[in-house]
Amino acid sequence: MTCFHCGITIPKGMLVTEQRNDETLEFCCKGCRGAYLLIIGAGFGDFYRRRDWQEPGFGEQAFQTAFHDPYLLRFVYQYGDLSAVDIIIDGIRCATCVWLNEKIIGQLPGVREVRVNYATSRARVVFEQAEITPAAIFSRIGELGYLPRPYTRSAAEESATREKKDLLIRFGTAFFLTMQLMAYSFALYAGYFQGIGAGIKFSLQIFSCLVTTPVIFYSGWPFLRGAWRGIINRAPNMELLIAIGALSSYIYSIYATFMGGEVYYETAAMIITLILAGRLLENVARRQAAVGVERLLNLTAGEARRFTGDELETVDVAELSAGDLLLVGPGERFPVDGRLVEGTTDVDESPATGESLPISKNRGDHLIAGSINLTGTVRVICDKPAAESFIARVARLVEEAQSRRAPIQGLADRASAFFVPAVLLLSTVTFFWQYSMAAGQLGTALMTALAVVVIACPCALGLATPTAILAGTGAAAASGVIFKGGDILERLSRISVAVFDKTGTITYGKPVVVEICPAAGVDPIEVIALAAAVEKGSLHPIGRALCDYAFVNDIPATAGEQLKTVAGGGVTGIVQNEPVAVGSARFLAGLGVTGIPGCVDFTPGTTVVCIARSGFWMATVVLRDRMQDSAPPLIAYFRKSGIRSLLLSGDRLETVQHTAGFLGISDGIGEISPAGKAGYIEGLRNKGETVLMVGDGINDAPALSAADVGCAVAGGTDIALETSDLVLVKPDLERLVFAHRMARRTMSVVKQNLVWAFIYNLVGIPLAMTGRLTPVYAAAAMTLSSICVIGNSLRITRYKHG
Amino acid sequence: MDSSLVTLILLSLFLGCGCWLFFIWAVKKGEFDDIERPKHRMLEDDKNEHDQNR
Repeated sequence: MTCFHCGITIPKGMLVTEQRNDETLEFCCKGCRGAYLLIIGAGFGDFYRRRDWQEPGFGEQAFQTAFHDPYLLRFVYQYGDLSAVDIIIDGIRCATCVWLNEKIIGQLPGVREVRVNYATSRARVVFEQAEITPAAIFSRIGELGYLPRPYTRSAAEESATREKKDLLIRFGTAFFLTMQLMAYSFALYAGYFQGIGAGIKFSLQIFSCLVTTPVIFYSGWPFLRGAWRGIINRAPNMELLIAIGALSSYIYSIYATFMGGEVYYETAAMIITLILAGRLLENVARRQAAVGVERLLNLTAGEARRFTGDELETVDVAELSAGDLLLVGPGERFPVDGRLVEGTTDVDESPATGESLPISKNRGDHLIAGSINLTGTVRVICDKPAAESFIARVARLVEEAQSRRAPIQGLADRASAFFVPAVLLLSTVTFFWQYSMAAGQLGTALMTALAVVVIACPCALGLATPTAILAGTGAAAASGVIFKGGDILERLSRISVAVFDKTGTITYGKPVVVEICPAAGVDPIEVIALAAAVEKGSLHPIGRALCDYAFVNDIPATAGEQLKTVAGGGVTGIVQNEPVAVGSARFLAGLGVTGIPGCVDFTPGTTVVCIARSGFWMATVVLRDRMQDSAPPLIAYFRKSGIRSLLLSGDRLETVQHTAGFLGISDGIGEISPAGKAGYIEGLRNKGETVLMVGDGINDAPALSAADVGCAVAGGTDIALETSDLVLVKPDLERLVFAHRMARRTMSVVKQNLVWAFIYNLVGIPLAMTGRLTPVYAAAAMTLSSICVIGNSLRITRYKHG
Repeated sequence: MDSSLVTLILLSLFLGCGCWLFFIWAVKKGEFDDIERPKHRMLEDDKNEHDQNR
């Protein structure tokens, strides 16, 4: 039984139905039914027929978020005579979602134009401000089950877009001119074998020169500049080889055009065009990976409710300063670090500290920005501006960790460090050798020397790494594993230690009921009904677990009355005229409940709550944070591959060790702070290990950056996704197995390619040095070698997940 | 023979330049920014709009 709108399996007791044309449609919640009615009402029922969703369900905050105009108006800008706002729409997963959003928003009165970019999930809505407010637009998107967020273009992104356009124009130009050039070159090839009139040959060569010049100096400018930088820094790089390859054949060709001989303009132009194509594809792949992450930014940016006198106003978090009095309701995140001045509540600090159980907070207690207020509405006095909050500090830690990272040199770059000087040396030696042999024939000597450079031209070498990495990242992305760069593949293939975060990564981070131990003669169903009655509407994870359990097992729960939450203890209420209490044993004992078993035997890693009615203990319920099903196979895979696994967590030591023991991980380290995790990973790296960190949550962010490869499981916090190098689109740890296999496979293809390119050079260079290979054959051999390399790289794409 | 060849080459370059300028215009206008969406947009039959227009 799945929800007609969002496609998830409907939990027992959650069913909402809607009658339509003799057909009963089933929904998982009122929100989904509302979205369905909205879509049908607008006449877009086609949406259900056409959509193509790989993954069901919506984001957790869908249908829940409220939108406020004062905050959203900040993102509205002038667009001609009208206003416009840019929106990131979370939850778009197929072209039909884009279509639906465009249509539904477009039907709102006052909206003039809607364009949703499918690749980036970004929408630009142009509207008449007199007729509609941005909050109405946002609410409409929210009603459909998508999560809209305002968006401003960052300067970094602007420049990335410009860079991509620039690269595209350079490539387009190079490609167009090279096509022209090939026509002339084929005529010249024919002339070489059959004979050609000197006049025609000359004019063809002049045309070739004409079209090649812009390819070298305009399209090839990034390489020339890079090469020049390499010379200045005395670090021979890939660009230098490309520049030498292209420039030498270009300059020699000009010489040959006027002094007589064969020209190799096509070699020069081809090198630039092919390598630009590689760059372009790499850029596109990188942008795609970045966009997915960008969408998840914005954790701290948001709004807060501040008291101005007795009035409440909604302000941007950035405007808060120390001493401001704020109101934070249940379910909201604390916007800044602060102290509690009124009310009591339970706080989920897991985003910040990793502690999965809620912590009770009373007057005067310190609150951490980013943690979630669970049970009570409280007044908070702001301690520090948002820029100095815990999250901001963590972000700075991350930046530091990133800057400490040594610049990664690609395999080919490392090879070229000695390859470039060697080739230059060889060709110089050849020149002088041939010059003395041929007794002063400058032309012949120069041509032989340049044949050495042409045959050693780094085409195959230059393509070896990028094509393989491109094929690898592309195939991985298609299977839901996004590598944020080619170097990540390389490092992932070499990892020796895998470090896992516990809460939210290995486990779901939400407790579930695993066992009910009732008193003699008490029906467990009755107990759960009582507990669910008093916990109804609770945001506390334990309360929610009890309610969920009641829902799933179809246990009817009447609503309790006079519900009172005692922070850090439990809940009391009246159910069917009898007082009921749910909470820790100590809390119940404090209420005077009798009959609580003195010693409850439970395994570490579990949480225990007791339920009492009319002062008598009725049952003890054991809850446990459930483990991801995909965790054990992953650990087993790493063990087989000879990679050591470690478990790090902010949770209590015994809980961590219990989980570690269950998974067969030798080391479980608990009660460790975010900075401590990063430090621990630094320690491992200093011992010479290559570390993979798998995590989720802000508290992991520094650790994710400190590790050689940081991997965030999706659904994780934005900051964690931003800092990780490897993103799993679905929180399925088994994809990590796939990612690791893919990385190893890609790197082995890179090595094959490099070996091939070197063998080709080893054979070709001596032939060229002795003058047995004219540059025409050298260029042909080079192309063949490149084709082999590309073909070998494309093999990777056939490797699919599962 | 020689001059006809040169004329033809110049002609092809001229035509090619037209395409090249068209390409540059397209890039600058942002036609390549989203290459996923248009192919779907083409297939959408906007029944409602038709009905409204009629």
